[in-house]
Amino acid sequence: MSVADFPSILPELLPRLWAFALRISRDQHDAEDLVQRACVRALERAHQLKPDTSPLSWMYSIVHTTWINELRARSVRSRTSAEWDDSYLETVADPSAPNPETDVLNKQIVRAVERLPEAQRTVMLLVVVEGLSYQEAAQVLGVPVGTIMSRLSRARQAVGSQFGTRQDQKVKDSIKG
Amino acid sequence: MKIDDILLLSYVDGALSADQKQQVEEGIGSSAELAERVALLRASRLPYQHAFAHQKLPEVPDSLVALVGRLAQGGAGVQADARSDAEEDSEQHEGSNQETKFTYKPHATHWGQGPGGVLGKPSVAAPAAAAARRSFRIAPAWLAVAFVAGAFCWGVGFRLTADSRQPALSSMAFQTVPAGTSPWVLAAAGYQQLYAHETLAEIQPDMAQSARTVDEIRREDGLDVHVPDLSSVGLQFKRVQRLSFHGKPLVQIVYLPAKGAPVALCVIRDKKPDVAVAQQDIEDMSVLTWRRGELGYALIGKRDNTSLPDLGRMLAENKSGQLFSKAALDSLLAAMT
Repeated sequence: MSVADFPSILPELLPRLWAFALRISRDQHDAEDLVQRACVRALERAHQLKPDTSPLSWMYSIVHTTWINELRARSVRSRTSAEWDDSYLETVADPSAPNPETDVLNKQIVRAVERLPEAQRTVMLLVVVEGLSYQEAAQVLGVPVGTIMSRLSRARQAVGSQFGTRQDQKVKDSIKG
Repeated sequence: MKIDDILLLSYVDGALSADQKQQVEEGIGSSAELAERVALLRASRLPYQHAFAHQKLPEVPDSLVALVGRLAQGGAGVQADARSDAEEDSEQHEGSNQETKFTYKPHATHWGQGPGGVLGKPSVAAPAAAAARRSFRIAPAWLAVAFVAGAFCWGVGFRLTADSRQPALSSMAFQTVPAGTSPWVLAAAGYQQLYAHETLAEIQPDMAQSARTVDEIRREDGLDVHVPDLSSVGLQFKRVQRLSFHGKPLVQIVYLPAKGAPVALCVIRDKKPDVAVAQQDIEDMSVLTWRRGELGYALIGKRDNTSLPDLGRMLAENKSGQLFSKAALDSLLAAMT
């Protein structure tokens, strides 16, 4: 993909950028402003997109940086889970779900991730939700790969603590089923 | 071997060599704490992607779809404000020295796309402008978006105005634009219309950066521009920007009153004979224009700003004080080196 082609792929990236912005900002209006701003910044810097970098990862990087800058500007260094607005934290009933427990499980998983500290949550979103490699996530967040793995490990231990042995067995069953 | 979080994660994910795996298992066997952490990691092997795929999220807003669509169409020709971009660029990992130099390049802002530009129908320009206005509420750096939207909106106007085959659309686009209004004045007024008091209230004047900009305008653009000191009439200098309109340098000097909308003085090279001050209304903006010494001026404010005509006459008669006089400029620039 050449630099000139980059603007043309923005619309197809938009749904995933929107979801990512919503999940990191946890506010619909912030997410809208965030995506707008990130797109403009990306166009300004399209020449910096390297051929071996995924445009989506690059956009995640800009969205994330823009959000961190915005938080700094607001002097809100971190949001505690107590401030979490779960107004859109609902899951759609899955018609293909083998049983209602799957829906319940979906909600529990989403909620467990959303309640993580911000740095861990962002890594979880990038790696286990968006499917980025450790290396890609490291590039997005501008941190060493070791930091990504360390945050991911702590995040998963925190999530794991909410899913005991019994729960774990149900999960395994639902995955198999 | 120290068994840390990274190693445990790799162990659970089956990413260790046989030797490492054995060492971790020995560690687990002798440490209940390590065994517990491994149990937690194993319990965290969950269908995350499946769960998040079914999370109910709000739809992508139509305004965002429209704006991104327009950016995609016109993005290649769009470069937003250099200074606000550079100010914002505090993240090291995203930038580089080379980038910083790039963002300071002159005339990084371009207004208007001109005839035959990459613009869509005028009917979809309005949501983009609305989205841009909304974005102002957060921070001045959002101006980049506003600029882009403004360029599109007003660029459409230029195209339609220039295309006499579409008189109906042309009249729709600019119902309140007087005949004979210069395109650059239209563009400047359209851009200024997007500014609210809040847009600029958070900006602290950066006199060093402004001095550098004024110096560039005078040396590189060859525009003998003076920056009026309007503090005596209650207008605080906010910033001076070096913009570009169809490749021509255009200077925008912005002031903010204690209350009410900002006022901008825009200057462009215009070699026609001097003309006296004239007033016109463009949409809900009031614009005073005059020409002096091969420079065209436009003083732009909201129509409800009743002091604008007097201010225009004062500026046209060069009766105001001046910021960045040669001595002051030399002093500021010397302090920066």
